[in-house]
Amino acid sequence: MFDYHAIAPELIIGVTLLLVIGVDLLAPPGRKYLAGVVGLVGLVAAAFPLLTMAACSDLAGCTDTGVRAMFDGSYVVDDFALVLKGLFLLTGVISLLLSVGYIEKDRYYEGEFYFLLVASVAGAVIMASARDLITLFIGLELVSGPAFLLAGWRKGDVRSNEAALKFFLMGVLSAAILLFGMSLVYGLTGEITFSGIRAGSAVVADEPAFILGVVFILVGFAFKISAVPFHFWAPDTYQGAPTPVAAYLSVGSKVAGFVGLISISYLAFGGVAEIWGPILWLLAAVTMTLGNLVALKQTNVIRMLGYSSVAHAGFVLVPFAMAATFDSAGMEEAIFASITYLLIYAFMNLGAFGAVMAAVSKSGSGELPDWGGLGRYAPGVAGFLGLFFFSLAGIPPLAGWFAKFVMFKAVLQASGSVWGVTLAVIAAVNAVIALFYYARVVKTVFMDDVPETAPVDEAARTPLSPSLALALGLTAFMVVVTGFFPQLLAFFGDAARALTLGP
Amino acid sequence: MWPPQCPAALGAVARGIYTRRSTPADAGDGAAQVAEYFQDYITVAVFAAFGAVLVAVAVGAASLLRPSNPTATKSQTYECGIDPVGGGWSQTHVRYYIFALLFLVFDVEAVFIFPWAVQLETLGVFALVEMMVFVVILLAGLVYAIRKGVLEWES
Repeated sequence: MFDYHAIAPELIIGVTLLLVIGVDLLAPPGRKYLAGVVGLVGLVAAAFPLLTMAACSDLAGCTDTGVRAMFDGSYVVDDFALVLKGLFLLTGVISLLLSVGYIEKDRYYEGEFYFLLVASVAGAVIMASARDLITLFIGLELVSGPAFLLAGWRKGDVRSNEAALKFFLMGVLSAAILLFGMSLVYGLTGEITFSGIRAGSAVVADEPAFILGVVFILVGFAFKISAVPFHFWAPDTYQGAPTPVAAYLSVGSKVAGFVGLISISYLAFGGVAEIWGPILWLLAAVTMTLGNLVALKQTNVIRMLGYSSVAHAGFVLVPFAMAATFDSAGMEEAIFASITYLLIYAFMNLGAFGAVMAAVSKSGSGELPDWGGLGRYAPGVAGFLGLFFFSLAGIPPLAGWFAKFVMFKAVLQASGSVWGVTLAVIAAVNAVIALFYYARVVKTVFMDDVPETAPVDEAARTPLSPSLALALGLTAFMVVVTGFFPQLLAFFGDAARALTLGP
Repeated sequence: MWPPQCPAALGAVARGIYTRRSTPADAGDGAAQVAEYFQDYITVAVFAAFGAVLVAVAVGAASLLRPSNPTATKSQTYECGIDPVGGGWSQTHVRYYIFALLFLVFDVEAVFIFPWAVQLETLGVFALVEMMVFVVILLAGLVYAIRKGVLEWES
C-alpha cells in the first residue's frame, strides 16, 4: 500500500494550488487577497502531516519506522526531510505574509502571484525528499521556474525586468551545467539514485569524466546558492524584484539549493569527499570575503542585504569545507551545523527583509542616507531593523551568534588541520567586516539627523499592514527566543542528522 | 557514378566503426565505455563530411553545367508560387503564442494518455483515478484560460 501519510504535505499543497487558482477566478477585483489567504491556510495545513510524522519517528522514541522510502528509494521522508519541509512551509507562510499588503497595492495579477509563490514552495518541499538525480532536478526547476516570473512581477519597472532576465538566464545556464554534470555521473555509474551512485563511485572515482561531473554538479548548485564566483545575478535580482520576492529568493530558493547540495554531496558523493571538499573550502572562503567586502560599499539597503546573503552562503558552506578529512561523526556534525545555520538564517533574513520593507514604506526610499533618524519618527520599525541586523551580524544574545558558534565548532573539530584553522580565521575576520556594515545601518537609523526630505508626518499617519506586522513579530520572536534558548532550533538541526541513516 | 553508391560506401564505413565499437575488450570498465561513447561521434562526423561533400559536388556541378541567364522575375524570392508580400521581418500576434501554449499542454497530455490507454486494463481502477486527477488539473488550467479571456480573439 502506498504511504499516503508520507506524501500528504505535497498532496495538500497540490490541492491548495488548485484552490488558489479557483479563488482567484471567482473573487471580484479588490478581493484577490483571498487567494493569498487560501495559500496561507494551505501551507499551514500541509505542516500538520509533518507534525504527525515527526511525533511517530525515532526522534520521539516511537517504534514506527523513522525513514519512509517511496518509489524505490527515490523519495525519502526522514527526519532531515521533515525538518526542511517544515522550514520551507514556514518560509512560504512568512513570504506570503510579507507579500499580501505589498502586492495588493500594485493591483496587478495578484492571484497569480500567490499561486506562483506556493508552487515554488511545493518545489522546495519536494527537494527535501529527493534522493535521485531526476527528482532532485524536477524539484529544483519547480523552485526556480515560478521564481523567474515572480522576480519580474513589476512589468513596468526596468529594474524588475533586469532582475527577471538575469535570474532567468543564470538559472537556465546553471540548470544546463547541472544536467551535464548529472549526465556524466549517470553515464559512468549507471545509476540515478544517490545510494546507487555512492556504491558505484568507488570504481570510477579516478575517472576525469566523473570528477568533471561532480564539479559541474557543484557549480550548478553554486549558482543556486549564489556562491562567489557564481553570485553576480543575486544582488541585481534582489534589488529589482519586488521586496517580498527578494526575501523569498534569499531564503526559500537559497535553502532549497543548499538542501540539494548537501544531500547530493553527502549521499551520492560521500565516498569521494576528496573531490568536492576542497572545492567547497575555496567557495566558502571566497564567497564570505567577497560578499562582505562588496557589501561594505553599498548604499541601497536591499542591495546590501543581497551581498550579505551571498556572504551568509559562504558561512553555511564552512562546515562542509573540511569534508575530505571527516569521518562519519564529523559529517554528522557538519550537517548539524549547516542545517542549524540555515534554520536561524531563514528567520533573521526574512525578518531583515520585512524590516527593510517597513522602513522603505515609512521613509519612502531604499537608500541608506534617506533613513537618517528613522528611530525618531518610526521607533518600532527602527527597533526591528536593529534587532535583525545585529542578529545577522552575530551579536549575542540574538539568534545569529549560535549559528556562527556551531559553524566554527564544526570546522574546528578537525583539530590540527592547518586548512580548517585557516578557514576559521577567514570566517572570524569576515564576521568582523560584516558587523561594520550591519552596524552602519543601525547607526544611521538611530544616530543620524533626520533629512529634510523625510516624510515624517506621512510616516506617522501610515500604519504598517497587519500581515507585515505579524511576519515581523513572528520572526523577531524566533530570533530573540532562539538567542537565549538555542536548543529551540538546534533540536531541529539535531534531527537533520538523520540524513546519515540512509534510505 | 559514385553518388548512387555513396550510401553503400557510407554504410560500409559505419559498419566498420560499429564492429570495432561493439567488441569491447573489457566490458564494464567505465573508461572503455566512455571511449566507445565518444566513438559514436566519429560516425556522425563521417556522415556530416560526406553530406558536405555531396552538396558541394551537386551544387558545383550544376552551376558549371547549367546555362546562366538571370532575369528580374527569376531572381525574385520564391514564396509558394505567389508574389512575395511584405518584408522578411513580419510580426505575429502574441495571441498565437498563448494558443500554442494551450495546444502544447494538451498535446503533452495526449502523449501521456496513449500509453495509459493501452495499459489501462492491466493497471485497473487506480490508473483510471490517477488519469482523471491529471485531466482535471489540466482542465483547471483551461478553465483559467477561458475565464481570463485569452481564448477570445476580439477584445
